Order: sequence, then C-alpha cells, then structure tokens
Amino acid sequence: MKHNKLHDFLLVAPGYLIYTIFMIIPLGMCFFYSFTNWDGISKNYKMIGLKNFLRLFADADFYNALKVTLIITVITVLIYNVLGVLLAVLLNRKSRACAFAKSAVFVPTVLSSVVVAFIWSYIMQTDGGVINTVLGVFGIAPYDFYATPLRTIVMISVIIAWNGLGLFLVIYVATLNTIPTELMEAAEVDGASGVQRFFKITLPLMMPGITINSILSMAGGLKQYDHVKVITGGGPGGATQTITLLSVEKAFEYNRRGYSSAIILVLFVMIVIVSAIQLSITKRREVKY
Amino acid sequence: MSVKRNRLLRTGLGNCLAVLFALIYLFPLYIAVSNSFKSYGDILKSPLALPTRPTLDNFVEAFHASNIASLYATSLLITVSSVALLILISSCAAYVIIRRNNKICKFLYAYALIGIMVPPVVTLVPSIKTLSMLHLMYKPTGLLMFYGGAYFSTTIFLYTGFINSIPVSLDESAYIDGASTIGIFFKIIFPLLKPCTATAVILMGMWIWNDFLNPMYILGSTSGRTITTGIYNAIGAYTSQWNLVFANVILASFPIVVLYLCMQKQFMSGLTAGAVKG
Repeated sequence: MKHNKLHDFLLVAPGYLIYTIFMIIPLGMCFFYSFTNWDGISKNYKMIGLKNFLRLFADADFYNALKVTLIITVITVLIYNVLGVLLAVLLNRKSRACAFAKSAVFVPTVLSSVVVAFIWSYIMQTDGGVINTVLGVFGIAPYDFYATPLRTIVMISVIIAWNGLGLFLVIYVATLNTIPTELMEAAEVDGASGVQRFFKITLPLMMPGITINSILSMAGGLKQYDHVKVITGGGPGGATQTITLLSVEKAFEYNRRGYSSAIILVLFVMIVIVSAIQLSITKRREVKY
Repeated sequence: MSVKRNRLLRTGLGNCLAVLFALIYLFPLYIAVSNSFKSYGDILKSPLALPTRPTLDNFVEAFHASNIASLYATSLLITVSSVALLILISSCAAYVIIRRNNKICKFLYAYALIGIMVPPVVTLVPSIKTLSMLHLMYKPTGLLMFYGGAYFSTTIFLYTGFINSIPVSLDESAYIDGASTIGIFFKIIFPLLKPCTATAVILMGMWIWNDFLNPMYILGSTSGRTITTGIYNAIGAYTSQWNLVFANVILASFPIVVLYLCMQKQFMSGLTAGAVKG
C-alpha cells in the first residue's frame, strides 16, 4: 500500500497548525513571560530573570492563595474518593432505586459551575437561606457560612464536590464492574465478612479507578476558579482567592502579565508533579489477578 | 426462611435509603426549579414549599432583561462550530499519525499529547496576545481557535485509541479498489468512528457550553456574551432578586439538562472516556 504524501499532509496539517499556534506557542510564551516584567500593553519589557519567582515566594497573597487552593483540593479529593468509593460499592446492585440514585448524583455534573454556584449561594445565605430556614424549624440559631474565610472555603469545597461527584462515581462503578463476581463468591464461601471483603478484595482491585480519580480530582482542585469567582469573587479582601483567581486578577486587573505568568507556571508545575507522584504511587499498589 | 426474609428486608431498606439519598442530593435543584415559579414575595415567605401561585413572570422578565435568546445564539454558534472544528481536525490527523509507521508520526503523536496536562488557564493570558496579533480578539472566531488549540490533545487522544481498534485490512481493500487516502478516510474510516465522535461531541460540547473563564476574557461583551458569562453579568445586576436569579439559572441549564435526560447512557460513557483530561 503506497501512501499519498500530499494527502497525508493535508489531513494532518490543519490540526497541528491550530494546535501549535494556540497551544504550544502560548505555552512557550507563558514560560517566557514569567521571566519578564511585561504589563500586557506596552511594547517594551525587560528580562528580569528569576525576580518574579523571588517576589512570588515572598508574597503573602500568593501563600494565602496557595493555602486556599490546597484546602479546597484536600476536601474535594477526600469527598470525591471516599464518598465515591463508598457510594459505588453501596449502590452497585441491580435495583431501580440504586440506578435512580446513581443518575441523581450525575445530574449536577452536566450543569455549569456558574449555575451551581448561584443556586448554592442562595441555599447557604445566612438570612433566609434554605439551610438556616431548616435549622430554624428545629430551633437552632442560624449558622453564618461567611463568618470566617476558612468556613467559606470549606463551604465552597463542599459545593464543588456536589457539582463534580457524579463523574467520579461513574468511574468507580465502571471499575467495580470489572471485578469478577467469582472472587466475591469464593471469599463469601470462605467465610470472609463484608468489611473484610471490602478491604481485602474490592479496594485493592479498584486501584486503577482510584489512580485515575485521584489524579483527576487533584488536578481539578488545584485549578479551581469558577465557583469561588461566583460565590465570593475571592473576597473579602482576597481571603478566599485561589491561585488561578490570583493569577487572573494580576493579569487583567493589575496588568502584571509577567508576574501572573509566573504564578500560573507554578500551578502548572504543581499539577504535573502531583500527577507524576500519584501515578507512581498508585501504580505500584495496583493488583493483578 | 428467616435468612431469606432478612435479606429481603435488607434490600428493601437499602433501596429506601438509596432513594432518600438521591432526593437529598437533588434537593438544591428542587429549590432552584420551584423558586423560579414563585414571585419574590413568595420566595421570602415560603422558600421550601412548592409554588402555591405558580407564575411564568420571572422567565418572561429574565428572557427579556438578560436577552437570553441572543446568549443562546452566541453559545450555540461557538459550541457547534468549535466541536465541529475539533472533530474534523483531530479525527483526520489521528488517522494519519496512527496508521503510518514512521518516525515523523511517532513524534507528532508525542507532540500532540504535550497539551493534555495543560489546563486552559495556562494558555489564556498569552493567547490574548496571539489573538490580538491575528485580529481575532473579542470575536467568536478567536474563541473557536482557542478551543481548537486547548482541546486538540484530548480529542487526538480519544481518536488515536479508537482508530487503533479498526483493522488495517479495511484501508487496504479500499486502496485496491482505487480510493485515495483522503477518500479512504472520509468514506470508510470516518463513518466507523461514530461512537468515538459521539463521545467527543458530548465531552467537548459540555465543556464549551459550560465554560466561563475563557469566554469572559477572550470574547468579552462586544460581540455578544455566551450563556454563562451572560447570566453571570445579568445576575450581578439583580443581586438578591432570587426569583430572577433562579429563572436565569433554569433557562441557562435547560438545553443541556434536556439533552442529558435524552442521552443519559452516552453522557455517562462519554464523560468517563474523557476523564483523562477533565
């Protein structure tokens, strides 16, 4: 079979052209700008070496954004993976009720984060919000979710998890279905209890799913933007700002594109490192049968 | 006997708990839907109850005030054109790089996967520079190109995996019948990629329809906003008129939720397959 070189070129070229101009070059520019003091407008800028990074590591706003991002990441990763595995195991039965529950958890994943954030900001209001109305029925004093930045961040993390849990559940259910039923039956015959079966058989065999989901949930948590932007806008006074929010603000409101690129580059490196570590740890724990 | 009854009781209880859990999980959506049919006063009086005097006023007002029709049009235009572009450029590129066994194609494959770990926010700021140099800023075409670059890796990844499972003998017999390379791809291979294309359509369609940060800065407001940035902007103006907020929210989600309800299975498998990027 002889291939027409021109045809091959015509099939490959448009995609790679767009990809190179709108992904690879901007990626390179992000690296480049992080070593400059470019303001986004003027034609002149200077190479300032590592100054952006040195400034970054002395910037209290950056450390706060890092803290906020890590809190959101830890909470969402825990909810996605612990609740995801538990729900997958509990709902893994052939019944209409379980199928209904699985699709119910999946519905919010198709909604836009902006929509989800608006619905929940009504529910979580201190005055007249749904949660506090329900608490009021039981005679409990209203709970102010905005009293401290930490409370607000925890609340936002739960909202994010509600929005995204469905995807993780579906992946866990799919992994669970790859475990042969004979294994479970054999263990049951041998007298293993439900808890023993879960820890000795189900969990080790779910490792491939856990690998994918932990990488996904960590990367998702680290680049969090939308929900925080809509619910608090990063406030009060930048107290609930994530790294992405900080970098976007620096780029577009303060016109410090160089500095903003340095921030986003740190985030990108974090995502790559986390994924690499995750991959090597969980790969080792995967069990073959 | 008693063991069996015990089991039946347990499954019954389990099912009840599953349904209860599902209802609690969906409760926020119930709040949004039921309150969108209430007047502002009724929401304040009874936020949890079903609407006693259901009204469509909120929808009418939101539809006009937020100019929902034009938001839909912009979002639809951008989503459909971006998805079509991504499918076209990545399916044919994937076909060539996976079928030809040479060094260039191996390199191109690795090169295409560089972008898979890059979140779009990394390329957003520099893309604004590139786009303004090409005079594409604040235009739907600019956003279209941005998505083309941002999600090329993901779609290439989906298609290469799928094309690998199609036997080469199909290409060969078409070749013997005198078909050209482009002919083989569009007449023989592309129709066979339907399941993969369906996954790509759902995945990309949802990401692009729901995207918020990129349209906010790349498209801005000069040539019409998308549905997400549009309602964000509109709701900012009402602050606490929750009846209008909920009407906006419902109108923005309506198309995607209807699509999801019609194609639940495809959505679930599509999103799982695309989990590599997220």
